[in-house]
Amino acid sequence: MQKNIFLLFLFLLCMSLSSWTPASHSDRESKYILKQIKKSITSTFSFDSFSLTQKEQLLEASPFLEAYSFYDIIVEEAPKGYVMVATAPSKTDSFEYLLLFDLNYKIKKVKVLIYRENYGGEISSKRWLSQFLQSDTDASFVYGDNISAISGATISVKSITSSINYIMDSIQKLKSQNQI
Amino acid sequence: MRNIVTIALMGISLNLFGQNMSLQDSLQINSNQRILKNLAGLPQGITLGGYGEILYNNPENLNSELDVQRLVLLFGYKFDERVQFVTEIEFEHVKEVYVEQAFVNYNLTQGLNLRAGLMLVPMGIINEFHEPTIFNGVERPSLDKYIIPTTWREIGMGLSGRLNGISARYQAYLFNGFLSHNGENGLLKGSNGLRSGRQKGAESTMNHINFAGKFDFYGIRGLRLGLSGYQGKTQAVDGQNEIPGSEIGISMLGLDARYAYRKFSARGQYLRASLHDTDLYNELTGRDLGSELMGYYLEAAYNVLPFNKKQRLVGFVRYENFNTHHEVGSLISKNEAFHRKEWTLGFSYHIAPGAVYKIDYQTKSTAISNSKKGQFNMGVGVWF
Repeated sequence: MQKNIFLLFLFLLCMSLSSWTPASHSDRESKYILKQIKKSITSTFSFDSFSLTQKEQLLEASPFLEAYSFYDIIVEEAPKGYVMVATAPSKTDSFEYLLLFDLNYKIKKVKVLIYRENYGGEISSKRWLSQFLQSDTDASFVYGDNISAISGATISVKSITSSINYIMDSIQKLKSQNQI
Repeated sequence: MRNIVTIALMGISLNLFGQNMSLQDSLQINSNQRILKNLAGLPQGITLGGYGEILYNNPENLNSELDVQRLVLLFGYKFDERVQFVTEIEFEHVKEVYVEQAFVNYNLTQGLNLRAGLMLVPMGIINEFHEPTIFNGVERPSLDKYIIPTTWREIGMGLSGRLNGISARYQAYLFNGFLSHNGENGLLKGSNGLRSGRQKGAESTMNHINFAGKFDFYGIRGLRLGLSGYQGKTQAVDGQNEIPGSEIGISMLGLDARYAYRKFSARGQYLRASLHDTDLYNELTGRDLGSELMGYYLEAAYNVLPFNKKQRLVGFVRYENFNTHHEVGSLISKNEAFHRKEWTLGFSYHIAPGAVYKIDYQTKSTAISNSKKGQFNMGVGVWF
C-alpha cells in the first residue's frame, strides 16, 4: 500500500513536471532562442544596444546543417558581428547550437541551445565548446586532434565538429566569391 | 594450426594502406550521415539503427563456437519537439528475442530529461555503452558479465540531466530489482552473483523499489570519470517474500574512467557490491552466494595507423581481476574458482566508422593454482 502511495505521488510529480515546462522552443526563431542569442551577444561583445537583421540564406543545407538562421548584429546602423543558430543531428534526434562571429567571421562563441536526446548532450559543456574559439579563420577542427573526444558522446561530438567545419568552409567559399 | 590460418587470412584482409583522408572526406564519413541517408525515404520522426556482433570463440583444447551473439534493431519515433520513444529489439544467439530498451524520453527543459520504461541501469561503462565498435575485445569485459550483469535493464523511471557549466551529467532512477526467489528456487548464486536474477522487464515482479544513479564528469579534455551507485532489495514472488532469506539487500558502487588522446586511449573500472542477509538466503536456498563482489579492470589501447587515415587498427591489452566470493557469510567458505583473473591481448580493426573486425587472445585463470586456460577469439561487429 505504502509503495503504491509513493508511486502515485511520483506519477503526479511527473505529470506536473511535464505540464510545467515552458512553451515549445521548437523553431529557431522562438522567444527562448532569441533570448539566448541576445544573452550570448551581450556577454561576448560590449554593445549597449543592438538589433538583429536576418541575412540572406546562402549556405546550402547538408547532413550536418539541417537548417539555420543567420543574422547581422547591427549597432548604430552598421554590422558589428554575425550570429547563427544551426540545427545538426544527434544519434536519434537533432539539436540547435549558436555560433557567434566577429566581422572577420572568427568564432567568438559556441553554445548548444537545445539538446533533446538523452545521450550525447555532453557536447554542451562550456569548457569543451571553448575549443572552437578561433584566433585564425583558416584553422579547421579535427576530431581527436584539436577537438578532444568525449567518451560516450562520440556521435554528437563528430556531428557538431563536422557541422562547424562545414559552416566555416561554406563561409570561406562565399567570402572568396564576395557573396557575404 | 587452424588459428594460424585464420590469423593469416585476417592479415591479408587488413588493408593497411586504406585511403588517405582529406578533411573534406572526414566531413562526409560519419555514422550520422548514414543514419540520415537511411532515413531519407522514411516518414519524418522515425529513426532506424542497430548493432550486431558475430563471434568465433576457440577455448584451448575444445571445439570452437560460432555464434550470432546478438543482433539488435533500434527504432525511434519522435512525437514532437520534446517527446521521443526509443526501443531496441534484441535477437540473442539467433533464436532468443528480448526487448533491450523501450522508454519514452521527455525533454523537460534544456538539459533535463524525464525517462520512463525499460531502461539500462547506469552502472560502469559497458552496461550503457555496449555497441561492439566502442569497446575493444571480441567479448565484453568479463567483469561486466559477472559483477555488473550486462546488459542489465529493468523497468523504471527517473531523471537524466546535465550541468553544462561544470561539464557534468547526472542520472537518478527508480527501478525494479533482481528476482532472488521464484517460489521454487533461489536464483542468485556464487558463480555469477546477481546475473541470474535479472527480470529484464518480462512479467517482472516487484515488492521493493530500487535506486540507481550515476554522476559523470567530463571537464578535463579527453577524460571522462563516472561514479555509479545502486541501492535496494531483491524481489521474491508472492507468498515467498514472507519467508526470511528470500530477499537480500544490495549496495553497489562503481568507479570508471575513460581517456582518449589522439591515437592513445585507456579505460578502467572498479566495482564493489555488498549483499546483505546472504547467510539467511543461502540457508533457505542451499545456494553459495557471496556477501561481497569485487572487481576491476584496466585497459590501454593504441591506434597503429596514421592519425589521418579513415581506418583505425587499435592494439590493446586488458587486465581484469574480479571475485564473486570476495567476502562470504559464515555458512559457506570462499570458492577460489570464483576469483578470476584474465588477460586479453588483441586488435580492433575499424574498417569504417561503425564496422569492426576484432581478434584477440585471452588467458583466464582463477585463484586455484595451474588453472590457466587460453582462448582465441575473432569477431565482426557493426553499429549504425
